[in-house]
Amino acid sequence: MTRYQVERNSKKTLLAIFLGLFVVAQVFPLLWVASYSLQKSGDLFGPELFKLPVNPVWNNYVRAWFDGKIPQYLTNTLLVVIPSVTLSTVLSFSIAYACTRMQWKLRPVAWFIITIGLTIPIHTTLLPNFIWYNFFGLIDTRIGLIISYVAFSISFNAIIFSGLLAGLPFSMEESAFLDGAKYRHILPSIIAPMAATGFATVGVQTFLNHWNEFIMANTYLMSEAKRTLPFSIIRFQGQYSSDYAVQFACMTLVALPPLLLYFIFNRWIVAGITAGAVKG
Amino acid sequence: MKNLFSDKKTIALLSVPSIAIIGFAILAPLVVSLYFSFMEWSGFGAATFIGMDNYRQLVLHDGTFYRALINTFLLMLVTIFLQNPFAFVIAAILTKLKDATSRFLRTIYFIPATLSLVVVTKLWVSIFNPSYGFLNKLLQGIGFQNMQIAWLSNPKTALGSVIWIMVWQGFGWALLFYYSGLMTVPKELEEAAKVDGANKYQLYTKIIVPYMLPVIQSVIVIDVISSLKQMEMVYLSTEGGPGDLTQFIAVYLYQKAFRYSEYGYGNAISVIFVILAVFLTIFIQRIFRERSAGKKRVGA
Repeated sequence: MTRYQVERNSKKTLLAIFLGLFVVAQVFPLLWVASYSLQKSGDLFGPELFKLPVNPVWNNYVRAWFDGKIPQYLTNTLLVVIPSVTLSTVLSFSIAYACTRMQWKLRPVAWFIITIGLTIPIHTTLLPNFIWYNFFGLIDTRIGLIISYVAFSISFNAIIFSGLLAGLPFSMEESAFLDGAKYRHILPSIIAPMAATGFATVGVQTFLNHWNEFIMANTYLMSEAKRTLPFSIIRFQGQYSSDYAVQFACMTLVALPPLLLYFIFNRWIVAGITAGAVKG
Repeated sequence: MKNLFSDKKTIALLSVPSIAIIGFAILAPLVVSLYFSFMEWSGFGAATFIGMDNYRQLVLHDGTFYRALINTFLLMLVTIFLQNPFAFVIAAILTKLKDATSRFLRTIYFIPATLSLVVVTKLWVSIFNPSYGFLNKLLQGIGFQNMQIAWLSNPKTALGSVIWIMVWQGFGWALLFYYSGLMTVPKELEEAAKVDGANKYQLYTKIIVPYMLPVIQSVIVIDVISSLKQMEMVYLSTEGGPGDLTQFIAVYLYQKAFRYSEYGYGNAISVIFVILAVFLTIFIQRIFRERSAGKKRVGA
């Protein structure tokens, strides 16, 4: 090898080590938890840095599933997330359509109200909404939580849709209109398919956000019977505080669905984030 | 044809629901907050009007509030000056790798960003645990025997540890923003610079970073806002302690409201918090806009 080649190779090795270190930093904590979720709690206190589960204790997962009440929390999450994602997607598409393609006087005001949702931190609304929702009997109801989820997701979603809708030619609606179609046909069967990528991005992104959401659920829902998935982890820390392995199993179970979704819909999630960065 | 796009009934049907829901769940609470910020109220019984007392106490006498602001500011600095440069460098390396390798690494690096805050926080609470946590074992392994640091409750390490959790999860976002920005840099720009004899370092400092300025600015705006909004990780790990060393504004607000039932004071914090968020957003965007407007004029 020439000196040049040696230098080049060692540079490549250094680069690989650098990138590898970041891979370890981003993934190792997850592997650590996943690995010890399949061992006895006592193994965690052993002297070794990391141990693979040679005889996996699957029972930890059985216990996490039942003692963590995962079926119940999962049902509760779905009962909130399915309506909230559906509503948020439909509403943000509608408002984006009205604000990018239709002509009306109050349009700038409406768009300002929509985008202001990006600036107001969720946390500033927790206390006043607790008082406000109480007034309407919305505390400790799924509807109250769904309203908050939808309100805080419309802004970002509408921006993504408006980017897509602004580029379409106006002749699309015009020719359909001349053929006698009404808006209630034009929107779902002509415009919506043109924004299909937007529906995918918005749908997946919103689903992940609402699935993972904790602080609004923690504030507005009080009864155990309505609480959502993140609470299974919190519940364990209180009741089974020394059962680390089962806690880890519970964390792995809760983290798994979003991870799978991420691997499957990677493309749409990335598209959404990129759109967000461009708009700032 | 003109009335097709200005059909009043359709406009109302499409826009009223969204505006109503945002009005109900985001704007109305601002008014509620403002109203109760002038009161003393524990949530039960009648509220007493006390004028500006809550604000006076908060701005003039509340050390915890200022501690929270300082911590937020520290988090912004760490994000902008440590996390962002690393993310930028790695993004730049990724654009030079083979497509498959680059895609694989990007997928891996973004994994933490897809996890819920509860999972991420509890994950790191376990790693930081003094008796079974990985971190202490690692330090013992490389020769620091007797290493029993309680990372999250030791006053010297608590804030750093909490900030680390936030920066760790945010890294994937920064990387992705920068990567997608770098992909828009025209190839000709790079080639022209090479023809002119620019080395790699010059290529980045003189050509690519200036070209990427709008993206860098957007990411910084996002960083500032999201630093201000950090809450769940602290709430689920240190709860602001030890003392108020890891206090952040949203955590403080939450504790005042829901632990101590000081609804009036909590609402005063909410109001100041909203003002801060809106002011900071406008302020940074204005700085950047003026700058880029100046740039464009020079360029044209």
